[in-house]
Amino acid sequence: MTATEPHPRHRLDDVFTNPVRFSIVAALDRAGTLSFKEVRDAVEITDSALSKQASALEAAGYLTIGKSFAGKMPRTSLTLTRAGRAAWRTHLDALRSIAGDA
Amino acid sequence: METTPTVTPHEARELLHRAETLSRDAHNATRWPYITFILALGVATSLGTFAMAVTTGDTFGLAYFATLTVVFALLVFFMFSIRGRSAFSRGRRWTAYIAAWFVSYAAALAVVIWAHGSVPLAAAASGLVLVVSIVCAAREARS
Repeated sequence: MTATEPHPRHRLDDVFTNPVRFSIVAALDRAGTLSFKEVRDAVEITDSALSKQASALEAAGYLTIGKSFAGKMPRTSLTLTRAGRAAWRTHLDALRSIAGDA
Repeated sequence: METTPTVTPHEARELLHRAETLSRDAHNATRWPYITFILALGVATSLGTFAMAVTTGDTFGLAYFATLTVVFALLVFFMFSIRGRSAFSRGRRWTAYIAAWFVSYAAALAVVIWAHGSVPLAAAASGLVLVVSIVCAAREARS
């Protein structure tokens, strides 16, 4: 008897099925850390939409949101966590498997 | 109840393409000041330490002053160009690049101080500074 491999879609991460969250993590994949403004420009979304989805990613443990000040100017940075990177890799592997099914 | 999202192979390919494009574009848009800085810093300090190691008197003073001026100008350029950016600021890769440059630069300075006038040693130490910075810049450019 041979065990049947589960379909790769079961390895897709629900957190990344949201297109904005998917794009945020994709933008951070290589750079690791980017400023709020850099991510906003890369993903082409509004500040409020980015803020909302970044908070969701932070709640999932995939992102850390850093706050600092440069003089009197507040500065926000987004950093992909180790868990976030691992989940992202698994998600991409699942997508590659699905794409290879064609 | 089935809650796992269904993605078709065509959609998966599109998502993979989007992920790759976004990742590359975001990285390309932010890394150029870092690559420029590490490369220019390496070239300036390599030439500067070599000139200081093989010259004396006023020429040495000129090489010293020119190196300091160029490094200071590069720092101003770097601080200005990364203002408001967060990319690499806490990255291990960037820390490693600066540490590698610093070690090679310290070696070149040691030659200037303790083996002044030795062309082979100066060439080796200053050449190391150049090689290290080029390797770091090339690695970052290809990442």
